[in-house]
Amino acid sequence: MTARPGTATQDPSGLLSPEAMARRRDVVRHASRTTLRRRRLVGNGTRIACYVALIIALIPLVALISYTIERGVHGLSVAFFTQVPVPQGVPGGGIYNAIIGTLIIVGLAAAVAIPVGLAVALFLVDRRGKVAATIRFVADVMSGVPSIAIGVFAYALIVVPSGHYSGITGSFALAVLMLPIIIRADEVAMRTVPEDLWDAALALGARPSRVARSVVLRTALPGIVTGNLLAVARAVGETAPLLFTALGSTVLETNPFQPMDAMPLRILQDGTQADPHLQTVAWATALVLVAFILVLSIGARTFAAYATRHAR
Amino acid sequence: MSTDSGGGAHGGDESHSASPAPAGPTGIAALLGARGRRPRGGIYAGVRWGGALVFVSVVVALVVSLVWQAAPAFRHSGFSFIFNGTWNPDTEQFGAGVFIIDTLITTGIGLLIVIPVGIATAAALSEFLPRRLAAPLSTCVDLLAAVPSIVVGLWGLLVLVPIFQRDVEPFLQKIPVVKHLFGGGDLGSGILLASVVLAVMMLPTMVALTRTALQGVSVADREAALALGGTHWQVVRRAVIPGARGGIQAAVTLAMGRALGEAIAVALVIGGGVTLPHSLLANGTTLGSAVISFFSEAIGVQRSAVIGLVVVLLVFTALANIGGQLLIRGRSSKGHEAALPDDLITDTEAVPA
Repeated sequence: MTARPGTATQDPSGLLSPEAMARRRDVVRHASRTTLRRRRLVGNGTRIACYVALIIALIPLVALISYTIERGVHGLSVAFFTQVPVPQGVPGGGIYNAIIGTLIIVGLAAAVAIPVGLAVALFLVDRRGKVAATIRFVADVMSGVPSIAIGVFAYALIVVPSGHYSGITGSFALAVLMLPIIIRADEVAMRTVPEDLWDAALALGARPSRVARSVVLRTALPGIVTGNLLAVARAVGETAPLLFTALGSTVLETNPFQPMDAMPLRILQDGTQADPHLQTVAWATALVLVAFILVLSIGARTFAAYATRHAR
Repeated sequence: MSTDSGGGAHGGDESHSASPAPAGPTGIAALLGARGRRPRGGIYAGVRWGGALVFVSVVVALVVSLVWQAAPAFRHSGFSFIFNGTWNPDTEQFGAGVFIIDTLITTGIGLLIVIPVGIATAAALSEFLPRRLAAPLSTCVDLLAAVPSIVVGLWGLLVLVPIFQRDVEPFLQKIPVVKHLFGGGDLGSGILLASVVLAVMMLPTMVALTRTALQGVSVADREAALALGGTHWQVVRRAVIPGARGGIQAAVTLAMGRALGEAIAVALVIGGGVTLPHSLLANGTTLGSAVISFFSEAIGVQRSAVIGLVVVLLVFTALANIGGQLLIRGRSSKGHEAALPDDLITDTEAVPA
């Protein structure tokens, strides 16, 4: 570092005199000590601020979960899982129909969205043109479309022409919701397949379909399974797409062409009532729903961890 | 569409920051052009094109059918649909102005809460806490991101509304100066509560994505900052956070998109006022919650107007999304050189004369 002009007397040879050198060293040492102290102080202050933020963030999240568990546990019983809702004021009743409804609606949605998503991802993964770029962009934008818009869309497209609400319309809405998530997750998983594997398979003379099936899907399977499970977990908790499509019901309905109940709809229905018994039902349903979603997400994570550990 | 990987491919691949940049076709495939060549005919090609076609047609159908259904309302009200603040089905006046303002206010306040808290929490988890503590906490936060909005809404309605009514709102009204923002009665529900609920909903996503982005900053960048004499905090502030800027912006964009479009949780706690809010405690209606409240009983032009609200909402979220993606793309093309600003060393250079 060159000496600053004016900080010390400079002799003609370009070197500082010994006294000037010592003086300058003192100045630097003093300055660095004070700035280091200040920087450490600022650093510790912000570190503490970050811890405080962590606590602020954890309070509502912990409160949310503990409330759901605390209030929900009171409503759980065997009957809760095996009976259908009873009229207001009558004790007992359960959410059997809502559980079955959620399973059917989400199951049908997944049965459509997962294969279609896979096909689109295969389309995207080895194609480098404008078409692929556009579809990828649309998928990204679509994953941000509000679920309420998808619900109204399904209503306009299916409920209005067919003239009645039905569980399968809810499935359609959830499939539309899941599709962009699945496409992107599948594509990202497939991109982790090394180029060499593609090349090797093609060099062996395998047809593209064979490469896709035996090499790409095989190798990318852990990522694909994880991504799809997470998409299903997202769809299970959605309320807005079902509100104007599956509508809800208080009886057991297994025909997907009829209005069906689902757990999120039951929470909305009962949670907005003043009756404390119904509120307990809502909390218990919320607990079951959250537990179901957590099982799916933890399952997805565990599977991903297991698969990466046991791969190769 | 054949072997040449032109500029079009670039744009698409950068649109998603998480996906690794694909290498061009290498080796034999590049020589033969096998990877890029369109397979002619065959079931496999049919399946892939079919899938793409289904997806595109669904998206087109979504936009077209919603716009189609909303057209009568737009024709009925013209531009006043967006700028007018009066929503009165009896006089057939449909203006979404108030809903748009309420949507922007709730999302804005939610982001004001969630951006600093989220980034600081992510920094604590990824940079400051010892790994043994940070790992389980991070997993918890990741899992909480999956909690459905209806459960958050239920919690807001049954737990937060009484708390706000009893404690928070009277407290806010006692603070000098600021209290003018919090006029009106203690209703519990209202714009402020909706913002808080939105913030709680956004928080796990925000923290999870930001944490991933922070952890993605290379060790070399951190060590460079350390070698320049930075303290731990300075490394985080000047090297890690700038290096993760793209990821953090993606997190904010995603959170904002979710907040703009959230309907159920907001509808449960915002109260449902249709006049211009005079304070943050006033009842309000966002675009999403308006659809929930008005859709079922709406008929004729009113139904069309409610679907018009959905179209406005679609435009908002699409703009937020596209804007965010363009922002990320612009940043990432500038690269990492900007990640280490030279003012890291200015503190030590301020040598008094």
